[in-house]
Amino acid sequence: MDDQTCPKCKTTKYRNPAMVLMVNACGHALCESCVELLFAKGSGSCPECKIPLRRNNFRVQLFEDAGVDKEVDIRKRILKEFNKRQEDFPTLREYNDYLEQVETIIFNLVYDIDTTNTNKLIDNYKKENKDIIQRNKNRQSQEEMELEELLESEKIQQKEKAELYVNAELEEKKQKHKAREKLIDELMFSDADAKSIVASHVQATAAIAKDQSKLIASGPPAPAVVKSNKFSSGVQIGLRGSQSSFLPIPKQEDLPLYSYTATVFDYNGPTPPAIEMLGQLNYFANIRAASAAERAGGYTEALSCCRALQEAMGGLFYCPQSSHKTTVAMVAEEVDDMEIT
Amino acid sequence: MKLNVDGLLVYFPYDYIYPEQFSYMLELKHALDAKGHCLLEMPSGTGKTTTLLSLIVAYMKAHPYELTKLVYCSRTVPEIEKVMEELRKLMDYYEKEMGVEQNILGLALSSRKNLCIHPSVSKEREGKVVDGRCYSLTASFVRSRHAGDDSVPICNFYEGFDAHGKEFPLPPGVYNLDDLKDYGQTKGWCPYFLARYTITHANIVVYSYHYLLDPKIAEVVSKEITKTSVVVFDEAHNIDNVCIDSMSVKITKRLLDKCSNSIQILETTITKMKDNDSKRLRREYERLVEGLRDASVARETDMALVNPVLPSEILEEAVPGSIRNAEHFVAFIRRVVEYIKTRLRVQHVVQESPAGFLRDIHTKVCIDRKPLRFTAERLASLIRTLEISDLTDFSPLVTISHFATLVATYTKGFTIIIEPFEDRAPTVSNPILYFSCLDSSIAIKPVFNRFQTVVITSGTLSPLDMYPKILDFHPVIMSSFTMTLARPCILPMIVSKGNDQVAMSSRFESREDSAVIRNYGNLLVEVAAAVPDGIVCFFTSYLYLETVVSSWYDQGIIDQLQRHKLLFIETQDAAETSLALVNYIKACDNGRGAVLLSVARGKVSEGIDFDHHLGRAVLMFGIPYVYTQSRILRARLEYLRDNFQIRENDFLTFDAMRHAAQCLGRCMRGKTDYGIMILGDKRFSRADKRSKLPKWIQEHLKDTLCNLSTEECIQIAKRWLRQMAQPFSREDQLGISLLTLEQLQSEEMQKKIQQQAQAM
Repeated sequence: MDDQTCPKCKTTKYRNPAMVLMVNACGHALCESCVELLFAKGSGSCPECKIPLRRNNFRVQLFEDAGVDKEVDIRKRILKEFNKRQEDFPTLREYNDYLEQVETIIFNLVYDIDTTNTNKLIDNYKKENKDIIQRNKNRQSQEEMELEELLESEKIQQKEKAELYVNAELEEKKQKHKAREKLIDELMFSDADAKSIVASHVQATAAIAKDQSKLIASGPPAPAVVKSNKFSSGVQIGLRGSQSSFLPIPKQEDLPLYSYTATVFDYNGPTPPAIEMLGQLNYFANIRAASAAERAGGYTEALSCCRALQEAMGGLFYCPQSSHKTTVAMVAEEVDDMEIT
Repeated sequence: MKLNVDGLLVYFPYDYIYPEQFSYMLELKHALDAKGHCLLEMPSGTGKTTTLLSLIVAYMKAHPYELTKLVYCSRTVPEIEKVMEELRKLMDYYEKEMGVEQNILGLALSSRKNLCIHPSVSKEREGKVVDGRCYSLTASFVRSRHAGDDSVPICNFYEGFDAHGKEFPLPPGVYNLDDLKDYGQTKGWCPYFLARYTITHANIVVYSYHYLLDPKIAEVVSKEITKTSVVVFDEAHNIDNVCIDSMSVKITKRLLDKCSNSIQILETTITKMKDNDSKRLRREYERLVEGLRDASVARETDMALVNPVLPSEILEEAVPGSIRNAEHFVAFIRRVVEYIKTRLRVQHVVQESPAGFLRDIHTKVCIDRKPLRFTAERLASLIRTLEISDLTDFSPLVTISHFATLVATYTKGFTIIIEPFEDRAPTVSNPILYFSCLDSSIAIKPVFNRFQTVVITSGTLSPLDMYPKILDFHPVIMSSFTMTLARPCILPMIVSKGNDQVAMSSRFESREDSAVIRNYGNLLVEVAAAVPDGIVCFFTSYLYLETVVSSWYDQGIIDQLQRHKLLFIETQDAAETSLALVNYIKACDNGRGAVLLSVARGKVSEGIDFDHHLGRAVLMFGIPYVYTQSRILRARLEYLRDNFQIRENDFLTFDAMRHAAQCLGRCMRGKTDYGIMILGDKRFSRADKRSKLPKWIQEHLKDTLCNLSTEECIQIAKRWLRQMAQPFSREDQLGISLLTLEQLQSEEMQKKIQQQAQAM
């Protein structure tokens, strides 16, 4: 960066370390003092390409190559509009074609090739894809989300681990200190043989060390709540991004466990024979037997026979005392059912 | 000698065998039977290599379908050559005994630098340059250009190999690097590609760690090795560091400046190509659109650039649209470089996770994760398309692309550390970005998963239980063998105080204390007076070495020392050090005697043997703890603590003790050798340090040899030296530490070996 030179006043970074180069939309650099001098009125023309420029648009040159600054500037502007994602395309191929088209537009703008047509193209695109652009503006792409997640989990993990190990180390130190004090106390006050005391101490410390290393090896004792925001299938949990947002699942209170009780039907008529009894009662005599193909699917002639009997007998003793309206509705429902079956 | 190892007939190429070699074979056979991984420690100088080779070759012969290949990984070229020599001996023995030619093909593989026979390329000295020039002569597009235009230079040896080499496989036998070169010369084939091609059907392959552990190379070289292979990592006490280095990237300011140049080159080449031959770019573009892998990549010579991530992590998807076009990609990579430049412009140290980096790069220069992941692949494709034949210019850019791909691929087990200056020189701005792998198990995991048996072995692997933890695998066998000796030929001693009773320690608080330094000096002077020939001393760091030597000079210790022996010092400069070593050896050879002051973890401590008179005594001044303030180390310690439940202190002690053991082991290279090992720090006598020394040293470190003062140490040493100086013949060893076949088969010995095996 030391060989930076202002093209106007020829100041170099070496001679004036405080010099800062600025660039504008055209990608030509000027040092800060030149900008102040030339654009005192707030607007003027670039000394190199004579393009009219505004002073407000000058910003600090970030890259060594001013051309890259210009390109990135244009790119950011274009990508604001051209923000379709891979999800918006049916195939990868089309997405790639789209990417290339975007790249060509940017390239043309940067190197001033066929500017008029390109601008027209951009305007057309904007008109055509207004709603997609709007929608995608607030939406993060899958990749970005993945990265964010990674970063977050990294942060959490780091914190946890650091704490864990600091604590473990402190604990170990404490233990050691305690053991030593205990040894000294024992040596001072106990009557036993000093050698045996020392030996037992050595054993005890070895045992503690082993425990410690095991503890560490077994990882965090109670793995702090792992914050996962994904199901195992990769589906997002929660409302991050604006993925077609689901309502939060209502919280269920702890209800008593469900247990099955057989339902009791009120047929409003004579009880139809049970399904197991049909064969014995010789109902199948006049029914077409189920074919092999039908049986494969789990269908037996008993099923339809039983259903027909239930339908035939159900409601025979029904007295139309209740309101007429409900019956009509029920009939209508039944018709629907039959059509479906 | 023909042995019966648990029902397996093993041909052993020597007339005598050490008992520990036999038990080593037993354990190794159990591991092979169980098809599991194992961890074996056996002291250096007891013939590990030949034991391993003879058992595995015998096993391959007995079970040709269960075990098809041996991949032997070693660290350096001389070590590879040593292995090949042992293998040749073994094969000769087989031939002599069985009377027929053996159908076993063993070969060594090394880099192009060591195997090239091209008249001008082989003259280059730097490995990277050789690779680059080779690429520029053998890349597929260069060859196709040559087909149209004869003036384009190509490598005749490669052409020869390509034309005929694949049809005629290498005849069975043992080929070391020189044999391969000779064979290549006579046939006119390129030995490097011949060796690489032959790997797939050779029975025994000997090469460097990196060919298996570094994903950048492993993908190219070791892709087609079958599962039914046994992989041996020899001298593997540093294997975790090798794993970590293979996945880490270091980016300096200079590298980034060079990157800008390479981007310029890329840009001009693209425009040139657009004018001349836009079809090629078009074709590449279309291929990327289709999401096809480059079919022509299969050409073996083109794979100079590869993906730095492990095969399991590579996305099988089309390159994203935003970097499909060549120009767009160049703009993209420029943005990446500029972004990293801004990141390097920091005033204080920054540490962040890959996730944080990705988010920041997204907000600052709008780069998503996906294209970043494809950077390495896209760059490789572009360079291939542009037919750039000189790759040496692009190595900075390749580094950046590797970094980009890695950072976007792995979110766990890595960290990014940006340091604006070095700790030692806080006024000089020298910003460096470290992308550091914290988890050594990442790189080695595919190896464990892929091969049925992986053997990790070394002279110093203690404490053994640390390796399964940090490499994250479950060995079926984990054993440490001691050295059976006919006489106590090592004398380890812990010297904790000087004659004035001041404790000796390299603890930070007492490091600068002149009393401690003087005591170290006196110890050395007295040892130099008592011990003949060569003495090697190890300090904990270069910095400490320098301060100690300068105070010794002031205290007159250097003068006293030079009355007895010549003094040589290892420095950080490799050339200087090798000169010092040559003269040290000369001084020892002609009887003048010499003292070499060197540094643990330095070049001397890692690869140079001081056998017999070259190292009669080793002194370790202080415990060689690694520099604990380094941020990379801190990050790694934290990671180990959080993910593997290894406490910081445990790991630091483990690391220090393995280096100390490595240093001490330098002086013992065989059973006839003898040497004194002096550990000059009172902390060594604590149980946690002592118990981490290898078993074969611990065995001789009795309680009476701990906590000595300088005077006592010299007395013991003198008595011991007198004992060792007695003539020692093979007959003294026979029956105890050296066995003939009959002795080995005697019941008594078998029982002993059984006991030894059970004890472990």
